Amino acid sequence: MMRTLRAMPTLIRVGMVEAIAYRAEMVVWLLTTTMPLVMLGLWTSVADEAPFRAWGTRDFVAYYLVALIVRNLTSNWVAWQISEEIRTGAVSGRLLRPVHPFTGYLGTHLGAVPLRAVAVAPVLVILLWSSARGVLVTDVAHLALVAAAIVGAWLLTFGVFLCLGSLGFFLDKAMGIIEVYFGVFAIMSGYLIPLALLPAWVRDIAAVLPFRSMLGDPVAIAIGRVPDAGDAARLVALQWGWAIALLALASWLWRTGVRRYEAFGG
Amino acid sequence: MRLGYYARLFAVQARASLTTAMQYRADFLVQGLTSLYWLGWNLVPLLVLYDDRSSVAGWSFGAALVVMAHFVIVRGILEGAINPSLGAVVEQIRSGAFDYTLLRPADAQFLVSTARFAPWRALDVLGGVGLLIYAFVRLGHGPSPAQVGAGLVLLAAGLAVMYGLWIMIVATAFWVVRMDNLIYLLSSVFDAARWPASVFRGVWRVVFTFVIPLALMTTFPARALLGTVTWQAGIGCLVGAILISIAARLVWRLALRSYTSASS
Amino acid sequence: MTIEVAGLSKHFRVHRRPPGLAAAVRSLWHRRYDTVKAVDDISFTIARGERVGFLGPNGAGKTTTMKVLSGLLHPTAGTVRVEGHQPFRREPDFLRRITLVMGQKQQLLWDLPPSETYALNRAVFGVDPAQAAQTLGELTELLGLAGLTDKPTRQLSLGERMKCELAAALLHRPTTLFLDEPTIGLDVAMQVTIRDFIRDYNQRHDATVLLTSHYMDDVVALCPRVIVIDGGRLIHDGDLRALVKTMIPDKLVSFTGGVPADEVARLGEVVKAEGGRTTVRVPEARLREVVSHVLDRAGADLAVEDPPLEDVMRKLFKDKRASAPAPAGEPPP
Repeated sequence: MMRTLRAMPTLIRVGMVEAIAYRAEMVVWLLTTTMPLVMLGLWTSVADEAPFRAWGTRDFVAYYLVALIVRNLTSNWVAWQISEEIRTGAVSGRLLRPVHPFTGYLGTHLGAVPLRAVAVAPVLVILLWSSARGVLVTDVAHLALVAAAIVGAWLLTFGVFLCLGSLGFFLDKAMGIIEVYFGVFAIMSGYLIPLALLPAWVRDIAAVLPFRSMLGDPVAIAIGRVPDAGDAARLVALQWGWAIALLALASWLWRTGVRRYEAFGG
Repeated sequence: MRLGYYARLFAVQARASLTTAMQYRADFLVQGLTSLYWLGWNLVPLLVLYDDRSSVAGWSFGAALVVMAHFVIVRGILEGAINPSLGAVVEQIRSGAFDYTLLRPADAQFLVSTARFAPWRALDVLGGVGLLIYAFVRLGHGPSPAQVGAGLVLLAAGLAVMYGLWIMIVATAFWVVRMDNLIYLLSSVFDAARWPASVFRGVWRVVFTFVIPLALMTTFPARALLGTVTWQAGIGCLVGAILISIAARLVWRLALRSYTSASS
Repeated sequence: MTIEVAGLSKHFRVHRRPPGLAAAVRSLWHRRYDTVKAVDDISFTIARGERVGFLGPNGAGKTTTMKVLSGLLHPTAGTVRVEGHQPFRREPDFLRRITLVMGQKQQLLWDLPPSETYALNRAVFGVDPAQAAQTLGELTELLGLAGLTDKPTRQLSLGERMKCELAAALLHRPTTLFLDEPTIGLDVAMQVTIRDFIRDYNQRHDATVLLTSHYMDDVVALCPRVIVIDGGRLIHDGDLRALVKTMIPDKLVSFTGGVPADEVARLGEVVKAEGGRTTVRVPEARLREVVSHVLDRAGADLAVEDPPLEDVMRKLFKDKRASAPAPAGEPPP
């Protein structure tokens, strides 16, 4: 444990150097998150004609820009990385190191966050400059909860992707599962359309899934849709609960997967 | 003579892809299911939108469905005939096996474009055609033969634009070799093409119609089928397609020159 | 002359990647470039039907030269003509006459049997079906491909794959062969098979062969002539045996027993003394004397050999390095 903690700063620093070295790749990854922008273009046109179920243009601008920021800050490609390493056998190298592979992945993807933050800064600037800024929360309590929610969302997303990546130990077509997952995520997290605008039965299902905590809830808190700080705090607690649960699940999946991998000869 | 040569070459490449695909027969079933999954998923925003109102930017539900159907068809062709080769080429460049492509006495761009197909994506295209038929049933009338002809011509123009953009993206792989995620770039940029271009206002309209000419790919062929495309727009489409194809060829040659360090 | 190279140079611009986070951030907007002289002013000519070996340490410029000769790279300076063409023009007629086999990269389609790659090459190179069938028959017999070409490539062993690779490369009956480490990773028996095959093909079709290999045995067995490159510069071009004699005019004499220990030292420099068998290095001039002495003392299993090529090469590079400026290296492939 102590060895892991000591190794972390180095791993993160290496992760940052990696991120900068592969900056072209990073740009491409960022460019692939076009969905919020496309939706924004669509819904602002719709709302310009007439507010859509009490959501005006300002509301949509705030929602999708914040969603874009949160998505880019919290997303990472560790699921893809793990499934590739399993496929090529490179994961064996990781298993031979004295630190748990998860710390290596953590370093890589945590190290990319500063660069991602720099990349989404312009979006934040645009948001603050637009008329939508009036919708954003300004009190300390909510801002603190937003910060906690973003960290929680990062950990939860990391946990989910570790789980998905670890499926590569059991399934040949893990990449296919990841694509199907994205479809479910896009709806159940509010990434595609704000959950408030979806039918009630969809919202009911989303309430028992972790996806809302990955994106929809942090965004809702940030744009003032959870005015009561207590309610917001409960959402953040739920989110961190999901994060811990999924990280534990990821750990178990990994352990089981490695045993299977070693049994069948990587 | 050259045409016959390239036709034979295409047949050989296609057969190789088909043979590989046949090895993974289960994939066809899985692909059928995922086609249906994404078809349904694509309809979600449409259903939400038109639940509240009957017309968006002048487009009725049926008309918007026609655009969506074109999106599904073009996407099926993108994922079935274009992107697989991209994955193959990027892998070749990384492993150095691309050198063998350059040692062959055929045009490298042609070899690269036909390297691999994913034939099971034809199910996507079928799904899109099915959606198209349903859309016209909703609209209560079918397109005239002239409209179908115009629609096919503009669809071909749209595919030419898609292909041109794709070649330009592949070309960047020569300069920045580690681009595994290139496959996702075109697909995600293409995401906007599921909506009629006129839905986007102001700066979005400019971006999606001119900077990334997606309107060309889905909206215009859809308009042709619906009989609402003007002569000027149609000619504009064709000109745009030709220009992009020429630009793509130039970018490709530039990339090859860089790879073989012709300039240094 | 089939291959004519005059004053060939190939320089690469490689950007420097210093370690550390600060340097990485700086590299975001400012990159420093170094010029690497992979090939520096080399000239040689090769006649039709010759078998020539390219020797040199790693990063000496051998692969770069091969790539220039096959048209994959443009030269920075100098002129190159292969089979009457300028390689970098990549004219179809030129490409049909040559072939490049890279031992570390494969052209066979991975998921499909080699026969599919042969079909592709047949179509690509425009080989007449009857001609192709005949060539394939010949190659199958010479390389022993029976039963291999219909199994998916990924199911073949390394040696089987290499044989099929060679067949794919020769389907269009090229007359100039560029072979870059064709026997790498193969077991000794397979290396011999391939060597024999190359020699056979060379004699049968009067094909020019240019070979690079880290296995000195390949070069000794196949190439009467060697071109030695180090640090991008050509340091020797000529007969292999003559080179060996010039560099190390010694012989290795081996024998078992007979000669008493104190006399062995007087015979020459002891190279090896293991399990009763002694090997001494003897200058050519003293060979007769030493051999007579060993026979007098009833030394058994007498053998006289040339020094191994590795020793010759090592000496060659050491000499050149001592007199030449610091060598440049090849950029990573």
